[in-house]
Amino acid sequence: MKPAIFCSLAVLMASVAVPATALSEGPLYTVVEGYKVDANTMQGFRTWRSAACDRCHGPNQEGLVGPSLIERLKVLTPEEFKTTVLGGRMAKGMPSFGENAKVSEHIDQLYAYLKGRSDGAITRAKVIEIEQ
Amino acid sequence: MDMAFKHRVIAGVVLAWAGFAHADAQLDRAMQDPGNWAAQAGDNYNQRYSALKQINAGNVGKMQAAWTFSTGVLRGHEGSPLVVGDVMYIHTPFPNNVFAMDLKTQEILWKYEPKQDSAVVAQMCCDTVNRGVAYGDGKIFLQRADSVLDALDAKTGKVVWSVKNGDPKLGAVNTNAPHVFGDKVITGISGGEWGVRGHLTAYDIKTGKVAWRGYSTGPDEEMLMDPDKTVTWTDGKLAPVGKDSSLKTWKGDQWKTGGGTTWGWYSYDKELNLVYYGTGNPSTWNPSQRPGDNKWSMSIWARDLDTGKVKWVYQMTPHDEWDFDGINEMILADIDVKGKKTKALVHFDRNGFGYTLDRTTGALLVAEKYDPAVNWATHVDMKTGRPEVVAKYSTQQNGPDVNTKGVCPAALGSKDQQPAAFSPKTGLFYVPTNHVCMDYEPFEVEYTAGQPYVGATLAMYPAPKSHGGMGNFIAWDAGKGKIAWSKPEKFSVWSGALTTAGDVIFYGTLEGYLKAVRLSDGKELWKFKTPSGIIGNVFTYMHQGKQYVGVYSGIGGWAGIGMAAGLEKDNDGLGAVGGYRDLQKHTALGGSLTVFALPD
Repeated sequence: MKPAIFCSLAVLMASVAVPATALSEGPLYTVVEGYKVDANTMQGFRTWRSAACDRCHGPNQEGLVGPSLIERLKVLTPEEFKTTVLGGRMAKGMPSFGENAKVSEHIDQLYAYLKGRSDGAITRAKVIEIEQ
Repeated sequence: MDMAFKHRVIAGVVLAWAGFAHADAQLDRAMQDPGNWAAQAGDNYNQRYSALKQINAGNVGKMQAAWTFSTGVLRGHEGSPLVVGDVMYIHTPFPNNVFAMDLKTQEILWKYEPKQDSAVVAQMCCDTVNRGVAYGDGKIFLQRADSVLDALDAKTGKVVWSVKNGDPKLGAVNTNAPHVFGDKVITGISGGEWGVRGHLTAYDIKTGKVAWRGYSTGPDEEMLMDPDKTVTWTDGKLAPVGKDSSLKTWKGDQWKTGGGTTWGWYSYDKELNLVYYGTGNPSTWNPSQRPGDNKWSMSIWARDLDTGKVKWVYQMTPHDEWDFDGINEMILADIDVKGKKTKALVHFDRNGFGYTLDRTTGALLVAEKYDPAVNWATHVDMKTGRPEVVAKYSTQQNGPDVNTKGVCPAALGSKDQQPAAFSPKTGLFYVPTNHVCMDYEPFEVEYTAGQPYVGATLAMYPAPKSHGGMGNFIAWDAGKGKIAWSKPEKFSVWSGALTTAGDVIFYGTLEGYLKAVRLSDGKELWKFKTPSGIIGNVFTYMHQGKQYVGVYSGIGGWAGIGMAAGLEKDNDGLGAVGGYRDLQKHTALGGSLTVFALPD
């Protein structure tokens, strides 16, 4: 049993007008054994799947026609991440998911999941929920 | 052939022949001259055969690049240019520019740059490909990504008429080439991954007015199906489809977002006046969410050109569980089937089976695996026409959130849209194939208009316990359902093949080689590395007494973007020599046309 990894982000996005969930307190994600995650992060994974992000970014987020999110999330701030996902980057082929309720409502959870992947704390794309 | 004939301008007179529809005289004449490449397959039969033989098995080894042309666009370049007389028509992926080039001077006579909203790019599932333009009635037809079908004056490039074929905001976009058959322009629709309801639509060649539209799913009248007259292969014979043949096979109104899109290549038999094409996957990719056979997704269709009425239909993969779209081309050829001369239709499906049907009646004659790796079904029951699914590889039986592993072929099929070719000299078919398997995990997904509606995560890799590569180029006997010879390739062969009277077959590879192989046994006679990976179709034409062979290069498409080494650690032992990363060692993006000829 490996110790759980907690990652918190004290300074979380305030400037983006989206339904913010209360992620500014406590850890951004919790992961055990590299793939067992908290409910919030699990929701992030479900959001990732439902929006078919893997079609462009690859099943393991390592990039295809779209860039590697493992790399990009090392660079993007949470605000930049939100702006990109919700507003799109049309010139680069990135669609806007602002109209997609599933994505816009769970943008923080999506960020938590992808950040966990980018940090290397979540060691595989497919995660399961930590049993309570 | 009188070459001067090519330079004569033929007035666009519509001739009415007894027994078939109004042919487009201009296109018919152009197609009869092997010096032209007037349609995407060179003919209406999808044979991709040229009677030219200046370049042949004896001298192809001397072939050289004659000239090249940059399209100015990155991403996947599918289809091919057209050649009519002294003019070559060159198209590009999105933004779908078209160039008309004077072959005498190599000057650009006109260029058409459609104004399209770039938002459409995000609604395209598998790269921004476009499979080429069509020619007829003095016009060039461009099926744009944003679903608009443009008719351009072939001399000036000016828009003659323009129609909107779908709603890109709902994911209804286009990648297919339009096809001119008789006095109609036929086009389909893409967007199965957005829950778009597929249809085939015929537009009047003169005006762009809708002649008919036949849906793939739903009520009989919207599919243009006659419950009593439209037949399908049932219990070893052809029988009427009966009332509500599609509605009965869907839960509630799921047929409205049921897919069955039509983004492949179509063919036409003038004597029978029938148009042949295939329909794609049912939406979503999670089979548990859509109980039933999901008719008529994954089917081969024969429609009357004048009315759109369905003469016969045959579903290859009822209740798809693997994304085995049935859209690949239907090749029409008169061949020997089990010792009997037959007006056949031959189709290499994504599901890994090569089908031979009687194209007049729709009778099922042959269905055999054209890649020995195929494992999702043991065989096709020739009485019911249904595949015998292997439980282990059934994503329906294993259920959502279970990763079904080792399914062959992968979703991209034993062959995707890259068209095969036929040689009347051998009676065999020459098929570019994929040798790829997958892990497939379906999951619950909700439909939201205009948003992706996929519901499965896939990982693809080279077929295990084989030669380690991801493709083969094969010769197929469609009368017997047997592979005549097979040539292994490092990557999927994602380029349309070309056969010629010179006993040479041409095809391109994903690393970027154009290859010439011997008709009799596939022996490699010549190859040349073009600027980028090839997913375009090889074409040939004659100009001023010289035969040319050309092909687009420009890596992309599903072959280029869908081949991630999406392997989890436990799959790493599969000898993943292929995959996207490996491809990156060989090629990079960039669209160009390379044209070859023998030295003077």
